[in-house]
Amino acid sequence: MFSKPVDLAGAAAFVALMAVLPLVFGGNYLIGVLTVSVIYGIWAVTWDFMSGLTGRENFGHSLFIGVGAYTAGFMNTSFGFNGWWSIPASMVMAVIAAVLIGLPTLRLKGPYFALAMLSGAVIMQRLMLIFWEQTGGEEGINGLEPLIRSQLGFYYFALAVLVAITALLLWVARSHWGMILRAIRGDEATCQAAGINVTFYKIASLVISAAFAGAGGAMYAHYQLQVSPQLFAVVTSITIITMVYVGGMASIYGPVGGAILLVLLTELLRNFGEWRLMIYSLTLILILFFLPNGLIAPTWRRIRAALGANK
Amino acid sequence: MLEILIIGAVSSAIYAMLAVGFTLIFGVARILNLAHGSFYALGAYGAYLFTSLKIPLLPAALLSIAVVAVFGIVVERVLIRPMRHSQLAVLMITLAVALVVEQALFLTFGSEYRNVPAFVDAKLTIGGVDVAGSRLLALGVGAAIIAVLWLFIQHTRLGSAILAISQDPQAAQYMGIPSDRVFAAVMGISAALAATAGILAGPFLTVQPTMWLLPIVKAFAIVVVGGLGSIPGSILAALMLGYAETIVAYAISTSWTEIVSVLATLLMLVVRPAGIFGRRAAF
Amino acid sequence: MSALLELSNVNKHFGGLHAVRNVTFSVQPGEVVGILGPNGAGKTTLYNLLTGFIRPDVGARIVFDGRDVVGMPPHSVAALGISRTFQLCRPFVGMSVLENVIVGGLGTQRRDGAALDERARSLLVQVGLAGKEATPVEVLSYGDQRRLEIARALAARPKLLLLDEPFAGLGSGEIADLSALIRQVHAAEGLTVVLIEHKLREFMRLVDRVIALDFGEVIAQGLPEDIVRHPAVIEAYIGRDVPDTEAAHAA
Repeated sequence: MFSKPVDLAGAAAFVALMAVLPLVFGGNYLIGVLTVSVIYGIWAVTWDFMSGLTGRENFGHSLFIGVGAYTAGFMNTSFGFNGWWSIPASMVMAVIAAVLIGLPTLRLKGPYFALAMLSGAVIMQRLMLIFWEQTGGEEGINGLEPLIRSQLGFYYFALAVLVAITALLLWVARSHWGMILRAIRGDEATCQAAGINVTFYKIASLVISAAFAGAGGAMYAHYQLQVSPQLFAVVTSITIITMVYVGGMASIYGPVGGAILLVLLTELLRNFGEWRLMIYSLTLILILFFLPNGLIAPTWRRIRAALGANK
Repeated sequence: MLEILIIGAVSSAIYAMLAVGFTLIFGVARILNLAHGSFYALGAYGAYLFTSLKIPLLPAALLSIAVVAVFGIVVERVLIRPMRHSQLAVLMITLAVALVVEQALFLTFGSEYRNVPAFVDAKLTIGGVDVAGSRLLALGVGAAIIAVLWLFIQHTRLGSAILAISQDPQAAQYMGIPSDRVFAAVMGISAALAATAGILAGPFLTVQPTMWLLPIVKAFAIVVVGGLGSIPGSILAALMLGYAETIVAYAISTSWTEIVSVLATLLMLVVRPAGIFGRRAAF
Repeated sequence: MSALLELSNVNKHFGGLHAVRNVTFSVQPGEVVGILGPNGAGKTTLYNLLTGFIRPDVGARIVFDGRDVVGMPPHSVAALGISRTFQLCRPFVGMSVLENVIVGGLGTQRRDGAALDERARSLLVQVGLAGKEATPVEVLSYGDQRRLEIARALAARPKLLLLDEPFAGLGSGEIADLSALIRQVHAAEGLTVVLIEHKLREFMRLVDRVIALDFGEVIAQGLPEDIVRHPAVIEAYIGRDVPDTEAAHAA
């Protein structure tokens, strides 16, 4: 399905649009917004890969983001490593975190897994505040170096990373791996009876999701040039989940659109200042009621059908 | 030592009120209501609002509880019931409600800490320990309310309906028990309990828009440890958590207290997902 | 000829309940063995013990194809060559019929790669579901879901197939069809089949040998016609359940 010409054309058109937008409209403000939306896209896609496919909704994705970001913060400021080391380091730390929290929690039923992950993120946020002497407390870590001096350059880098991760995860999702994950969503016991090591696949998918989310966290840290405990907040996790719902659960590519849409929407609502988060939360409720299958992915499927791709 | 005993008891009473409401609605309707913390917050803010409108404290408090109970019933009917096919959908929608309420409170009242007046301003001295009257009141009222609730469940028709539905929802339906109306009633009770906890705790705990998150984390912790759907379990676990937190606060520092509950949850989920008295396991 | 599956001294307690008592029997390669017993006799528990979903009490020996499987997790037991179906159909919801069968092979036959697709299609033909490859499983009739279960179990190329009440919920015509399918599959794939059922009539025609359970114990073993006349078996059935007759499953 992914390799159909229509899909490749759509993807190419999207990438081209994203690449050209800042050139046409210019201005650091737009580049900034697009960069943030791209990074959120990375987080949303990684969430969808694990939670969308296996159906185990993770309410603590911010845990991996925060771990990645703080790793970058420490590596760059306390240990003085060059910024580019942050990305692999943050992936490693995120993987460790995923294994540590995944092993005990993945066997829990849906809502309990969700809340256990949420608890994990809350603990990390608390710990960052408790050990304020090492972590900078509420203020966090400041003074990170940018990875690429040019704003536009960093944007293109982030966009490339988003495309690469999305392509990779889409490929895995369409493969036998992806089928196994979806079967796990269907019925775990039957999977085990068929010889599938369910625990391995659940942890592996969480690990993959965490690794790339952590990388995104590191990128974000090197973009904002600072890291704060707010990254671990519930709001971050819920925002990402909203983006996935808007994009279309389990589609992998939908959340990209969901992320961009929501970040742009948030910026447009900047005039409403204090009402932004309220509108966000109300949007979530509306989506849950009226568009449970999302907006982006179903729309794209209709476009595909209209272009005659559904033979 | 005596101080820990008393403060621990106060915390436990507040937590027990929160947890019992949370476990009730779960036991009856399998709803993990993340907006439960919002009822707590709304209770406190309601008391603040009505007293600033010059309504005397007791009627203001009762009015606030009534309003929150109605709010809870409306939320259940309008937002939760259509989502009941999926526990995760219910989680998401109640979380969204919690966020909307937080934002609404922020927009209306701002983010500074608000003052909920206490019923009892006096400070009492017990065994050489100074205790705020409001804390003792919280303990007393909390214990009394839970006792009343327990009696209510054991001795009334609605109480029997609640027990029946908790044990076997289908059988209860076949017996003609109107589940939907029971859910609404339980939601109202649950919200009222949380609101009461907010009003009693308001004078000595912080009142600000984000005050819903920690109570829900703790209520979830208590209910997991005590066993989902078990009221005695919730009370026991509330005592355990209340005292654990108090001891940690005195022995180490107050900043570690939130972690106690979260760690307890995670540990329990790992070791014994059914909790101490629970029948339905978390996996 | 050495047994494919040997159980000795298999016990299982659930708290105070002694659900499976001292079960000892063996299954030869190529046999079709039936397990008979009223509700609550411990039949499904036995399957769960065999396939690693629950652990037997200490002292049990379960040897499959020469390997001791006590304590192995379910996916490892399956990898040795045991496939099972469940009492209630459990399709992978959200996926198509074909995908369901492919996943059945993804546990143990992954190295087949692209060949899995072909094998899945041929299995669907074999079970009579040809043409329904793209159908989402949610819309299948119950009888078709049962066939899907069998196709999915076969995708793993098992040596031993455990069926748990395959006829439950089916009308008499469907039962006859499914029974024929089981016989056909048994012959074609050279499988060993163990079958739990209540529905005596079809069951007796299908199996070579019967093991009768009651209250978790083996009360009799032998040929179908002998078992039906066995006093302990008759007591187990008439004492509690009425054996399922044609009239009962026409209802």
